[in-house]
Amino acid sequence: MQNLGNFKLPHFFNYPPYFTLQPVRDTREKQIQLWKDLILDYCRTQKIFVIALEEEFPLFSNPVIERSLTHESRDAFLSALVSEGRAEWMDKGHRKCLILWHRIQDWADILLQFAKDNGLEDGVVTIEEIRTGIESQGTELHGIDRTILNRALKLLEQKGKLVVFKGTSADDEGVKFSL
Amino acid sequence: MRRRPGIGGLQTAAAARDQFRLLGENVAKIRTDLMKEQLATFRSQLEDFARKHKNDIRKNPAFRSQFHEMCAKVGVDPLASNKGFWAELLGIGDFYYELGVQIVDICLATRSLNGGLINLQELCYLLRQRRKSDRGVVSEDDCLRAISKLKALGNGFEVISVGKKKLVRSVPTELNKDHNEILELAQAQGFVTVDEVERRLSWTSGRAIDALDTLLDEGLAMIDDGHRDGKRRYWFPCVSPISSSLGVDS
Repeated sequence: MQNLGNFKLPHFFNYPPYFTLQPVRDTREKQIQLWKDLILDYCRTQKIFVIALEEEFPLFSNPVIERSLTHESRDAFLSALVSEGRAEWMDKGHRKCLILWHRIQDWADILLQFAKDNGLEDGVVTIEEIRTGIESQGTELHGIDRTILNRALKLLEQKGKLVVFKGTSADDEGVKFSL
Repeated sequence: MRRRPGIGGLQTAAAARDQFRLLGENVAKIRTDLMKEQLATFRSQLEDFARKHKNDIRKNPAFRSQFHEMCAKVGVDPLASNKGFWAELLGIGDFYYELGVQIVDICLATRSLNGGLINLQELCYLLRQRRKSDRGVVSEDDCLRAISKLKALGNGFEVISVGKKKLVRSVPTELNKDHNEILELAQAQGFVTVDEVERRLSWTSGRAIDALDTLLDEGLAMIDDGHRDGKRRYWFPCVSPISSSLGVDS
């Protein structure tokens, strides 16, 4: 079986018809399900947050069997993720897609746990520290996409769990927790 | 002088009769004991045999198939009932019931991928993967036996021959002769094109498309428009397994 880096590709990835959107409903549903799982799995293990439809993406083509997904199929598989709340289109033209292997709500929970683990119940931390600091190393927050982080912060802000305050530049935006 | 019958004579005769009866009973008892003993020996020998070869019967598919042949010759079906002597001794019934359950499981799990038609080879391969603990001990012969036992549950399962391959059908789809010929043709490469079907089977275009469309609708075929020659290919998961990497079983 093929590997992409340390990622083990599923068997269907080597079966050519899975690269053509199937016309029969039942077959297509199964096909879409397999692709949805594959995309989420891959993005989770590789920490990929954004997929650009028109750019090269390792899952979109398989040189071994000389097949690649048409734009229509890419759109179909990602749209299926969007309809489940596991992805979001970042523009109206469906050119970029935000992949949520954790839903925003789950990211918010991870953020709260992070605050508790680091004694930040009443503390202040900058957004950059959350994304790249020592505290977040080894956690899922390390290297998190800025858009997703902002969405999770916003959600918590609405619930009164924290306040985001602006600094002089984007770099020193900060968060004050109040748990 | 003729002895007249007397009380003494009668008593002697009665005593002699008693003696004979006693002796007779003794002989009969000895015989039954002997028979019982022989039966016990036979049974224990048989048990010894079964115990001794139990592992062979369980682990060695060739031995098992010979065992079945032997049973068939003496008119014993070890699978007929789970309470029979053989079954009790060998647990052989359980083995096939277990296989049957696992086969049903696999057929259901792969149905959405192959439309309910699976290659016997692939089925065996998946079965072996499932039974990892004693991997490699299930033969195609065992699969066929287990499937034939599943018939008791209705007409759900059937083994059909397409060309050289055996396919196991777990859906009530009726395949007609045209479909079978296409499946047979597809065995070479795993797929066919409309052109190929028309040419090789000397069919009209309508007939080929019609049959292929039916196979698509039944979920037995998948289309592939990605080849660079631009011709649509019809793939058949039941003849070119997706789950086992190609060529594993051959």
